[in-house]
Amino acid sequence: MWEIMSSRSTDAALLVDDQDTGPQGSVVLQARGAGKRYPGVIALDDVSISMRRGEIHALLGENGAGKSTLIGILSGITEPDSGEIVIDGTSTKFSNAAQSQSVGITTIHQEQTLAPDLTVLENIFLGRELRRGSLLGRFLLDERAMRKRVEHLVEEFGLTADDLRRPAGTLGALKQHAAQILKALAFDARVVILDEPTSGLADHERMSLFENMRRLRDRGVAILWVTHRLDELFGLADVITVLRDGHHVATVDPATQTPDSLVRLMVGRRRSAVAESSAEARGNRWSGPEEEILRLESVSRAPLVRDVNLVVKRGEVLGIAGIAGAGRTELARIILGADRADKGQISVNGKQVRIRNPRDAYKLGIAIVPEERKTQAVLGDFSLAKNISISDLSRVTRGRMIIDRSAERKLANVYVRDLEVKTSGIQQKIRNLSGGNQQKIVIARCLFTRPALMIFDEPTQGIDVAAKNEVYRLIYEFVDAGGGAIVISSELPELLRVSDRIVVMREGRVAGEVPAGPDQSEDERSDRAEEIMALAVRSSS
Amino acid sequence: MSFLPNNATVGQRLRAVVTSPNSGVVSVIVLVCIFASIKSSVFISVNNGFNIASQMVFILLLALGMTIVLISGGIDLSVGSVMGLCAGVVAKLMIDGVPMVVAMLLAVAAGAGLGMVNGLIITKLGLPDFVATLAMFGVARGLLYLWTAGTPFLDYMTDTYFIVGGLRRPFGYLTVPIIVALLATLIVAVTLRFTPFGRHLYGVGSNSHGAMLSGVSVPRVRLLAYVCSGLLAGVAGVLLAGQTTAVAPDLGTGYEVYAIAAAIIGGAALSGGRGRAIGAVIGTLTLAVTANAMNIAGVDPTWQQVVTGLILLLSVILDRASTLLRSRVVQIPIQPVAATTAATAR
Repeated sequence: MWEIMSSRSTDAALLVDDQDTGPQGSVVLQARGAGKRYPGVIALDDVSISMRRGEIHALLGENGAGKSTLIGILSGITEPDSGEIVIDGTSTKFSNAAQSQSVGITTIHQEQTLAPDLTVLENIFLGRELRRGSLLGRFLLDERAMRKRVEHLVEEFGLTADDLRRPAGTLGALKQHAAQILKALAFDARVVILDEPTSGLADHERMSLFENMRRLRDRGVAILWVTHRLDELFGLADVITVLRDGHHVATVDPATQTPDSLVRLMVGRRRSAVAESSAEARGNRWSGPEEEILRLESVSRAPLVRDVNLVVKRGEVLGIAGIAGAGRTELARIILGADRADKGQISVNGKQVRIRNPRDAYKLGIAIVPEERKTQAVLGDFSLAKNISISDLSRVTRGRMIIDRSAERKLANVYVRDLEVKTSGIQQKIRNLSGGNQQKIVIARCLFTRPALMIFDEPTQGIDVAAKNEVYRLIYEFVDAGGGAIVISSELPELLRVSDRIVVMREGRVAGEVPAGPDQSEDERSDRAEEIMALAVRSSS
Repeated sequence: MSFLPNNATVGQRLRAVVTSPNSGVVSVIVLVCIFASIKSSVFISVNNGFNIASQMVFILLLALGMTIVLISGGIDLSVGSVMGLCAGVVAKLMIDGVPMVVAMLLAVAAGAGLGMVNGLIITKLGLPDFVATLAMFGVARGLLYLWTAGTPFLDYMTDTYFIVGGLRRPFGYLTVPIIVALLATLIVAVTLRFTPFGRHLYGVGSNSHGAMLSGVSVPRVRLLAYVCSGLLAGVAGVLLAGQTTAVAPDLGTGYEVYAIAAAIIGGAALSGGRGRAIGAVIGTLTLAVTANAMNIAGVDPTWQQVVTGLILLLSVILDRASTLLRSRVVQIPIQPVAATTAATAR
C-alpha cells in the first residue's frame, strides 16, 4: 500500500514551503497560544496553529502529546485556560460544541458519534435540524429540505440515496465516515477536523476516504487531520504540525520530511533511539522443540469461515492478512470458542479438542487481545491490578473462595514492571491510562493466565508509534520464551515486520501463505506486500 | 422498515408484514381476540370494546410518557405514584372549593413539576434514572398517604366532573378520557416523528455522547422527557380521580409496571433510541385485551398476573425474531464489490 502512497506523492502538486506563506489560500482558523492544564498535568502549553482554505493540515504526536486537547478546544468541547481562537480575524471563545459548529467547524471524532438507531439523514442533521418556514412550522422538521440539501453530495462520497434512509448502525465503517463527512458538508463547513479517520478501515477503504478528503480540499475546506500512520501522510498532507508533551514542536512541509524524521520530531531524540532499538531487537529466538501448539483442519463456519487449515508452532508469530470481511476476526472467535465451527477439527498441543466457550480456551492456554480495546477488553472502573487478575483469579485466591488482595497486588506489580506500563500505581483506574498503556495491561491480563497461544487482533490500533514498538517487543518476548502467537492486522507494514509467516485470507478461505520477518529488507517487504494484496483481493472465479 | 416497489410479489409483501415492527405483538392480540370470541359471544361487541378502551386509557397515558423517557435512554418508576398524588391534588382542591378547571390545571402542573424534579435530580445531580425515580416513587406515594391520613378523599364529584371521569357520557361512547387519550397519542406521535425535540430524544437515547458532540443539549432533552412523563401522569391522575369518585391513598399502585410493560411490548427499548407512540397503544391494547378476555372467560385474577407476565415475554421474543429476520433481509452481500474497488485502486 505504501507503494501506492509514494506514487501519489509525485502528483501532489501543491506543497507548502513555509508555515507562513501557503499558496492554498487565506487563513480560516487560528488557535493562538492555547493552553490547558488538568490537575497534575499540563495537557497543552502555548500552542498555536493556523489553518488555511483548501489545505490538509496533518497533526502528529504521540498519545498524550496534546492532540485531543487541541481538537477539543477547536470543537468547543474543552474550554482552554489561556489563548484564543481567531476565526476570520475575530477572536472568539467556544463553550459548547454547537458554538464551534455555528462558525463552520465540524469535527469527526474517533469514537462512534453517529446514533445507530437514527437514519443517516437524521444523523446528518442531528442537533441542527431544518425546520419549516411558517409560524407553526418552526416546531416541525422539514424532511424534504434536509434530503434535498445532501442529495447531490451523496453519490460523490460513496453513499447511495437508499443509504440515507438506513439506520446508521447498519452501515459499514467507511459509509459511516462518509455520513460524517456529509454532516460537515451539509452545513458548508469551512474547517473539518478528522481525528484518526482511518483507524479500523481496511486499505481499500482508506483509499476511498483519502479521495473524499481530496474532494473536501478541492471545495476549499481546511482539514485538520490527526493520524498515527506516518505512511499515510505523504502525498496527502500539505502541512504537518507536530506536538510533543503538550508543546508545539514544529510545523513542517512534508516534502522535507521522511517517516523517520517525523518520528524523531514526535518522540524526541533520546526516546526515539530507545524505541528503534527495541523494535529491531529480537535476539534470542526460541531454541526449544518446534512443537505444534495449534492445528486447524478444514474448520468452517458459514458463511464467513470456509475450510481453513493452519498451524501455529512454538516460538513463531503467524500473521493473518486480509481485507475487512475476509473472516480473520471470525476465525479468531472460533479458536477462542466464542463461536462454534460448523465442521472441522481443532487440535491443541497435538490433542484434538472441542472449544465450546472462551473459558475452555483459557483452560487450554489460549488467550486473546481483542480488537476493540474499549468495549471488549478494558474494565474501565477497575484498577490495573483487578484488570490484570480477572481472567485467572485462581492464581490469587485462597482456598478457591477468598481473593488475597495483597497477593493480587504483588503479582500485578510484577507484570506492570515487566511490561513497563507508565502509571502512578496499580491502584489507578485503567480508564485514566493512555491507549498504549491500556493495551499493555490487556496483554498483561493474557500473560497472567500463562497461555501457550496468544491471539492479537489489531494489537496496535489507535496507539502511538513508541507504544506500538513496545507491543511488538512484548509479542517477541512471548514467542521467544516458547509461546505461539497469531497476529491479525489491517496494517501490512506492521504485519510484515512482526510475523514470521503470513497467511492471507480471502472470503473466508486461506488464499495463500507468504514468508515475512524482521530481517527482510525494504525491497523484499514491498514485494511481499504486493503478493499479499494480490492474494487478498484477487476475485474468486 | 422496507420500501416496497408497486410490483412486489406476494412473498415480498408477506415478508414485509412479518418483519415490520410490532407485527409479533399484533399477532398476539389477534390470536387472543379469536380465542376469546370463540369462548364467548360477549367479547366481540361494541359494549365490550368500549369497556376495553375505558380500561386502557390511564395505562396508555402513562405508557406514552414512559415511551418518551425510554427513547431518551431513561426509565420512570414514579408514574404510578405521581398519578395517584395528582388525583389527590385535584380532589383535595375541589373539596376546598377551588374551581374545577383551576384544580385540574394545578394537578397537571403538579405532575409536570414532579417530573421536572425527577429530571433535575438526574441531569443536575447526576443520579441514575432508576434511583431518582425510585425515590420519587416512594416520596409521592408517601405524601399521598400523609395527606389523606390513610382515608380516601371523598365528596368532590360535581356533575361536570362525572363527564371528565367518563362516568357520564354526553358524546356516546366517546368519553372525555378516551378523547384525551386519543389526542395525547396524536400529539406524542407527531412530536416524536416530526419535531426536532423528538429527533433529539432518539439521538440522545441512541448515542448520548454523539448527540452532545453534534450540538444537542443532552441534559435539556432528558429533563424535558421526564417533564412530559410527569405531565401525562398528571393528566391521567385528573381523569382517574373522576372515574373512581374517591381518591384512596393507594390509588395507582402498580401502574408504573403496566406502563413499562406496555411500552416495551410496543417495541421501546430499555437501552434507549427506540420506541413509537403507536407502540404504546399496541402494548396497552395487548394488556387490556388479554385482561378483558380472561375476565370474560372467568379466569382467576391471580392467574391473570401470570399470563400478563408471559405475554410480556412472548411479545418481546416475537419482536426479537422479527428483528432478526429483518436484519437478515437487509444484510449486504459481502466482498466482490469491495475487492474490485481495491483492485482498481492499484
